[in-house]
Amino acid sequence: MISTAGPVVVTHELTKRYGEFTALDSLSFMLDRGQILGFIGPNGAGKTTTIKILVGLMRPTSGSASIAGADCVRDARRIKRLVGFMPDTFGSYDNMRVREYLDFFGAAFGIGRRERTRRIDEVLDTTGSTYMRDRYVESLSHGMKQRIGVARTLLHDPDVLILDEPANGLDPQARIEMRELLLKLADMGKTLIVTSHILPELSRICNVVAIMTKGTLRAFGTLDQIMQAIRQRRTFEVQLVEAAKAPEVASAVMRGLDESEQRSVAAHDAEAVVRFQTSRSDADLADLLGGLVRANLGVAQFREVPTDLEDAFLTVTRES
Amino acid sequence: MIAIFQREFFGILRLRRAVVAIVAMALCSGLLVLARWPSEGLVDLSGSQARQVFRIFTYGMLAGVLLLAPAWPATSFVQERRRGTLALLFNTPLSKLAIYAGKFSGVLAFTGLLLVTSLPAAAACYAMGGVDLWQDLGSVALVLLVATLEYVAIGLLVSTFAGSTDAAVRTTYAAVFSLCFLTLGPHYFLQGQPGWMPFAAAWLRRVSPLPVLMHLVGQGSIGSQGLMESSSGLPEYLLASVAVTLAVMAATLLQLHSGIFDRSRSQGVITDEQSLGVRAARRVFFLVDPQRRSAGIPFWLNPVMVKEFRTRRFGRLHWILRLVAACAVVSLLTTLAATTGTVDWGVETIGGLLVIFQVLLMVLLTPSLSAGLISGERESGGWDLLRMTRLSGWQLAVGKLMSVAWTLLLVLLATLPGYIVMIAIKPVMWLQVSLVIVCLLLTTLVTLAVSAAVGSLFARTTTSTVSAYVVLLAMFFGPLLVWLGRDAPFGYEVVQAALAITPAAAALSVIGMPGFEQYELIPLSWWVAAGVTAVSFGILSARIWRLMRPS
Repeated sequence: MISTAGPVVVTHELTKRYGEFTALDSLSFMLDRGQILGFIGPNGAGKTTTIKILVGLMRPTSGSASIAGADCVRDARRIKRLVGFMPDTFGSYDNMRVREYLDFFGAAFGIGRRERTRRIDEVLDTTGSTYMRDRYVESLSHGMKQRIGVARTLLHDPDVLILDEPANGLDPQARIEMRELLLKLADMGKTLIVTSHILPELSRICNVVAIMTKGTLRAFGTLDQIMQAIRQRRTFEVQLVEAAKAPEVASAVMRGLDESEQRSVAAHDAEAVVRFQTSRSDADLADLLGGLVRANLGVAQFREVPTDLEDAFLTVTRES
Repeated sequence: MIAIFQREFFGILRLRRAVVAIVAMALCSGLLVLARWPSEGLVDLSGSQARQVFRIFTYGMLAGVLLLAPAWPATSFVQERRRGTLALLFNTPLSKLAIYAGKFSGVLAFTGLLLVTSLPAAAACYAMGGVDLWQDLGSVALVLLVATLEYVAIGLLVSTFAGSTDAAVRTTYAAVFSLCFLTLGPHYFLQGQPGWMPFAAAWLRRVSPLPVLMHLVGQGSIGSQGLMESSSGLPEYLLASVAVTLAVMAATLLQLHSGIFDRSRSQGVITDEQSLGVRAARRVFFLVDPQRRSAGIPFWLNPVMVKEFRTRRFGRLHWILRLVAACAVVSLLTTLAATTGTVDWGVETIGGLLVIFQVLLMVLLTPSLSAGLISGERESGGWDLLRMTRLSGWQLAVGKLMSVAWTLLLVLLATLPGYIVMIAIKPVMWLQVSLVIVCLLLTTLVTLAVSAAVGSLFARTTTSTVSAYVVLLAMFFGPLLVWLGRDAPFGYEVVQAALAITPAAAALSVIGMPGFEQYELIPLSWWVAAGVTAVSFGILSARIWRLMRPS
């Protein structure tokens, strides 16, 4: 069991180069125990490279990475003990039943026969896969295989789980089940690093998000922190009682904004909504709202449009 | 059809291994001729030197066709099905016949290209004189062309029902080598006897291009045992081969329907919960019930070895028991047939047949088991998972190699009862038999080490399997090509040196097989085998060490 104090995963100036090409450029971050890190970025951003360095499958060109104090390059044996890794490919073997498959990996991790049997039952139960135990691995659906993949990573009871695209290719039901499973693992005290292209899924489970593009970490922190860091302007909506008042409201809003912000004002007649972006303070916005109410323009609601991970991701990747 | 032909033909040409095959074929055919090209500027009026060169060239070309022709068609349909492009093809207005014809002609064009690269060498043979353009070169070219057609058709048929590309390659090579070599067996036993069976065996033999090519190059007929044959057998071979090709083509076309995508996956029935009677009956039938819930891997067994046995299609215990039983039966039947069916054969000939049977079994079986040991894991993504476990590279290598070694040893042991019968007939042979068994054990080791080492060099199982087959067959049958040219063009020294490469030849020499008894191959052959094994294991260890390290 690793210490509860201090960060569990630490990378410092982690760099990986292939000749002239830099796959990973000075990546530094820290992750505390029990946190779920959502690792996002477009294809070729350096996510899998980072993961492979963390699990000891790849050597960095420079910099360092450690998990619970174990160096990812030098302490390979400790890393294997501490980390459960699920790559984006399942690594299935033909003619093997699920229980035999897990039994093999349990034996490969050096777990004794009796203990292994108990652990297999436990991980199958945790992942909700007990009913699959006698089925051939190759006969399982993609979603079932993903769950068996998670079960495999849990066999040796690792403290850190690194999952590469666990929700990739899953149907909505299986995706929900996978989300619940990952939250359950976090509740069990595991630290999780999860990559995914399905951003709404990640935003629902992750405490911390890392956005990477072209091998560089563009943003790191909680979703709120990232939003604050990357969003200078917030988006607001004025919901009207009558759509006919929309142009009038839009003019009133524009009068209350800077010239640069006035271009963002848009009246949506069909929805009876006026939308705009601004960097003004809450006090200024209160004055604006007061003005609209006093003008008796039929304002039903005045609200901030929440920004999600997808917006953040797109903003960061566009900027980069 | 033209579109499919173009895609197939140019698709193959773009592969690096296709370029390697073309260059290798051109180089080998050229070197074969150069090796026997007269060094002195004297005219050989009898043409015997030219015929020696022609003989070597012909056998080399046959080896080329056997080794290279099946590789590409074997992966054709199965690769398309796994990539999903076959479904797209079926969804076009193209008929099944057009798809098949396009693929067939594309693969055939490439194989034809391989044969064309040997034309300069063939021209050199002709230029020496003593070789007739139509009677000799034309006939050989015709036989090779028909053989190529047949093997391409077989490869495409196997490709329609195989589950994976490496399984398709294995099955195709097994089918092609069976057609070329095993079809000669029944005739060897039954020739000269009355009844319909010798007649059928003689026709079965016609499916193989080997007897007709031997006749064309003036080497009599393989396994004729002194019985003269009046004709070359060329028309019979052409007839039999074309019939087989047409039948295989028809079977392939029948296979090409939507059912090719509609294969149910076994969910796996466990019999532990079934009644005692059912379980008892299954126990009697299977000896080891394959559907019984297996026990966990015990601490004293290498988990990788157990995994290898379990994941292999025929690796489960009940299949191994069946394989061992079949080998024992074949071994005993061979001995029984030889001892009761003929009075002319000596025990040596029977022993020689047993050795050939065992070596064939080893050479055909081993690459299919061991070539993909590493590449299979790398291709499926399992290699990274294994690297993440606490298993060391040494444990991985030992587990994987032992899984193959045990299977091969069991097969070898199962074929030994024939030798026991031989010793019972002629007790003084026990020393020879002991030496033969050592040679066979070395053969097993060499085949295992070489195919595992060659296979580990590639990332794809198909390439690993094909390469391992090519290297092993060249190692084991190449020296036999030299042996076929004993007396002329090769002298005693050259043949002895060539035969020393393979411990199988040493076994044949020890057992006193006619044609091999004059060569002293032990202990040189054992040293060579030990050296090749050590180097191969060295290469394998280096590859595993490299692949286990962080990249």
